[in-house]
Parts: sequence; C-alpha cells; structure tokens
Amino acid sequence: MKILVIEDESTLRETIISYLEGEGFLCEHAASVELGSEKVCLYEYDCILVDIGLPDGSGLSLIKELKKIHPETGIIIISAKNSIEDKISGLDLGADDYLTKPFHLPELNSRLKSLLRRRKFEGKQAILIENITIFPENRQVYVDKELLQLTKSEFDLLLFFTSNRGRVLSKESIAEHLWGDFADAADSFDFVYSHLKNLRRKLAEKAGKDHFQNVYGTGYVFMAE
Amino acid sequence: MRLQAKINIRFLALMFLIFSVAGVVFYYMIGEVADRNIREMLESRRAYILLNLQKGTSLSDSFASPDNSIFIRHIDESKKYRFYSDTLAYDQAEKELIPFRKLTFTASSGDHHYEVVLMQSLLETEDFRILIFIFLGGLFLFVMTSLFFVNRWLYSKAWNPFFKSLSLLNSWKFSEEKSVHFETTGIAEFDQLNDLLKSMMQKIRTDFINLKEFTENASHEIQTPLAIIKSKLELVLQDQSLSATQHKQIQAAFESAIRLSKLNESLLLLSKIENQQFVGQKEIDFVHLIQSRIDSLQELFDLKQIEIEFQAESHVFYSMNPLLAEILVNNLLSNALRHNHENGKIIISTESNEISIINTGENQEIDPKRLFQRFAKHSMSIESNGLGLSIANEICKSNHLQLTYCYSGGMHHFVLRQEDNLI
Repeated sequence: MKILVIEDESTLRETIISYLEGEGFLCEHAASVELGSEKVCLYEYDCILVDIGLPDGSGLSLIKELKKIHPETGIIIISAKNSIEDKISGLDLGADDYLTKPFHLPELNSRLKSLLRRRKFEGKQAILIENITIFPENRQVYVDKELLQLTKSEFDLLLFFTSNRGRVLSKESIAEHLWGDFADAADSFDFVYSHLKNLRRKLAEKAGKDHFQNVYGTGYVFMAE
Repeated sequence: MRLQAKINIRFLALMFLIFSVAGVVFYYMIGEVADRNIREMLESRRAYILLNLQKGTSLSDSFASPDNSIFIRHIDESKKYRFYSDTLAYDQAEKELIPFRKLTFTASSGDHHYEVVLMQSLLETEDFRILIFIFLGGLFLFVMTSLFFVNRWLYSKAWNPFFKSLSLLNSWKFSEEKSVHFETTGIAEFDQLNDLLKSMMQKIRTDFINLKEFTENASHEIQTPLAIIKSKLELVLQDQSLSATQHKQIQAAFESAIRLSKLNESLLLLSKIENQQFVGQKEIDFVHLIQSRIDSLQELFDLKQIEIEFQAESHVFYSMNPLLAEILVNNLLSNALRHNHENGKIIISTESNEISIINTGENQEIDPKRLFQRFAKHSMSIESNGLGLSIANEICKSNHLQLTYCYSGGMHHFVLRQEDNLI
C-alpha cells in the first residue's frame, strides 16, 4: 500500500511516516502543494494525507487536481483549522475523511485502514487474526466460525485495536476514538475500562486466549501472532 | 433622555420663571399707575369743590352728582383732615357691590363747615387689570410656542450632522470590510469629531484584523508543535522496553500535552465566537439535535447509571451556526453528565421556545455569577478545563439567547431561552 503524506511540518511528517511504516505502509512525502501535485501526477497512490494550510497554497486545490487524475485514490485531510467550512469544502471536493490536528497516531492509522478497506475491497475484506474473523462492513465478529455478540462500542474497540495490532493504545486515544469531542465529557477513562473489560471477557471466553495486555496501567495493547 | 427634550424642558422652565417674575412686576406697576390716576382725578375734583366754596356757592345744592359720587354733609366744628380709603358700595347700574376709592376731606366756607366724601369706582381699573393679565398670558403663550418651534427647527438644523454621524456609527460593524464616509459639515466641532471618529474606527478595525490574524496564526502555530509533541510521545510509549517509571513519566507528559491542546482549542473557539467569526445561520431544530446527541451518548449515561428523561413538549427552533449549535448542546449535556453523581438524573424538557436541563449533582448552589466565568472550576474534576459553560454562555450571547442557572429542590437548573427584547 502506497501512501503520500503532504505536510509542511517536517517533524510531524516524519512521525506520521515512522508510525505508518511500522504498519507496513510504503510512504512518500511532500512538503508543499507544488511538490505534492508533481508526485500525484507522476505516481499512483492508494491514499494521500494532505494538510490544508501549506506554505504555497491550500491543500484543497491539490484535492481538486487529484480527483481529476486519479479519482480512485483515497484522501484524508489533516488540518489545524477546526473550521466547519474547511471540513465541508474538503469533503465536497471528494475527500474521504477529515482529521483535526492534533490527532492520535492510532486514530490516523485506524481511519486510513478503514478507508483503504472501503476503497480497495468495498469493505468486503475480512480481517483474520488467529481464530478471530472480523467483517468490518456488516460489523460482525466470528470466533471459530461462531458469531460473537458485541455491542457497538465493543465492536469499535476491537476494530480499533486490531487496526493497531501490537501498539500501545493510551486511554486518551481510545476515549477519543469512541466518543470524539465528548471524550472528556465524563469520567470516560472508567468507561474505557469497563468497555474493555467486557470485550476482553467475551473474547477470552470464546477464543480461549486473552489478546489484551495492560501496559503499566496507562494503556493497552492487542497482541496476536 | 434625548438632547432635544432636555434642552426644551430647561428652556421652558427658564422662560416660565422669567415670564412669571416679569408678569408680577408688570401687573403691580400697572396697578400703581392706575391708582395714581384715580387719586389725581379725586384731587382735581376736590380742587374744584374748594374753588366753588371760595366763590360762596352752597355745596349741598350744586354738587348732587348723577352717579352719587359726591357726598357732602355739615359738621359743627372746624376740623381739618384729609385721607384716602377703599370701600365697597352698591352700584345701581351693575346691581352689585363694587370697590370704590374714597377721598374724605373737610372744607370751610365762612361759618359753614363741611365734610366732603368723593368716591371713584374702581371697576374700570379692575377690568383694565384683567385685560392686562389676559394680554400678558396670551403674549406669554405665544412667545413660548413660537420660541419652542423656532428652537426645535434651529436644533434639528444645527445638530443634523451629529445625527448623521450617529446613524453611521450605529450601522457600523468593526468586522465588516465596508469603509465609512463622513460628510464635511462646515461646522468646526463636528468636522473635528468626525475626523476623530474616522481615525478611531480605522484603528479599531486594524486592531481587530490584527487580533484575528494573531489568534488564528497563534493557534495554528501552537497546534502543530503540540501535535508533534503528542505524536512523538505516543511513539515513545510504543516502546515496550521502557521501564515502568519512564513509561509513567512519559504518560504524564503525554496527558499534559493533550490537555494543553484541548485548552488551546477551547480558547480559540471562545475568541472566534467573541469575534463573531461564525457566519451562516440556519434554523436549527434543537429537539432533534438534543435527541441525536442523547442517542449517541446513551452508553455514557448508562455507564454512570444516570437516568435521562427527555420531555419534548414542543419543537424549539433557534437560528444559529450549525457547528455552534452542536457545541452548545454538547457542552450543556456534558456539563450535566460530568457534574452528576452515580444513579443521578437528568431531565431535559422543552416548552414554548425554552429548553431546560435539570440535573442532580453536588448538593450545593453554585454562584451564578462565577459559573459562566472562564476557568471557574467547582469540582475537583481534573478533566474539566472550566471553559465548557463559558463557551456555552458566549454562544448564547452571540445568538441572542439567554442561559440562566438556578438551584432548587436539590437540582441544578439550566434554562435556555430567547432574549426578551427579541421578537
């Protein structure tokens, strides 16, 4: 899978690339609209991540251009401007998703994977982890061909964890993934804990193995072969 | 009070005072002149009578006057006196008692001694006085009314440039690009005022634009390094060779970076609302909005075992930016949830364009003045940054809504309604 990261802030760009490369993606980068449009003209990518506020213009013009040449490429906007206008105009131009800086890397990873599943396999591809099979499109989980009943949040949690296999996910990023802006509305960390407890119990009962590990009480990691 | 009304009231009061004093003085002066006239008349009659006496005419015969104004009687001894007095006497013609001026004096002719009383009716003088009074009153009214209208005309003419400037100022919004043009008035003071206003307005606008750019740039510039700090720390946290102490320290730094970035976002949002940078108002169905928020947050309520009751008696529509509407509902709901206790209750009801959110919580009233202030924390909750309610309040203020708080029956009441002066 080939990804193009168009972001002018070099440190952030490197961090994103380093995380995504750890997930097995092939990453290229550009720091300006000019360089970005050069790359999208020359090569084909599965997905591009594009910042709106670039030094030589708006990332929105790049999206317009890309939609003409390679309409099948997935587009995720990353922007510091938390403005609904940017969001709407970006999505209107054909962007698939919108992330506001600062975001959690696992969140970016999970959205990227879900976008690629939708784009490449029309969501029909199943995720296989040992004896667990997840069908993201119809939101079903099978353990040894037996359907596992999960609530909406538990399913979201499982998908988030399996997208970020082997990664430590902090409670903050889990809460934000589940409830977005509402993450700090309530004692959401307790809720993360209780959701995760239920998911672990259900999964361990059927799969015969606890895939989750607690990391020093601050986060969790999903381990699988 | 309007300037014109103020000037008019003072002017009329002053005129009334001047006219009253002048009227009283004038009235008494006229009275004095009339009185002198009557005395002169009586004196001339007396001189005539005395002249006749010297000629030797018998007084009683020759002085029977047709209007009974001369009375003569004999007296025995020779006395000498002369005085004026006022009296009332019956007048045949008027058929009533009327006031008279009376001159009583003595006169002698040879051995005959007389006391003579001369009377002069004051009726004409009285009529004259009334006439003067009416004339004065009429004059007063005429002068007052004409001065009032002349004043008004002069006032509106002289102050016209001022009102033009005022209406220009009224329609001026510092966030709009449109430039303001003041006409030259030809009046030195007003031209000076307009020049000053113009330069002040330009200053305000450039300051506003600078501030706007600064907040936007600052937030953008802060968000990016924050994003880097967060993502770098997140990468470090992935390293499972870290010791427990290291992990915890990095986790603490990570959490602080998250809080900082949320704080930055909230402050930026506040300044954006205050600067009225959210345009594009729509009629928002708040019942629908609240219901959808409740649905998506149901599990948060369930996990805290909070019973939520939504009684939508009527649909409530407020006109505002959709993003702000969502933030407003989010902040109010999360406030009701955050400051609630387990097994608590939240009651949301709507009624004739009014939304009330009632929740259980700490059994203690919060000072309503402090409640909507920034960074006013009331509970020990670490996750709260104390900006949620002040953002909600700011959204309300900029959209002509009123957010009020009260504590009664052990519940915290938040009521959202349209401002009273708005139709």
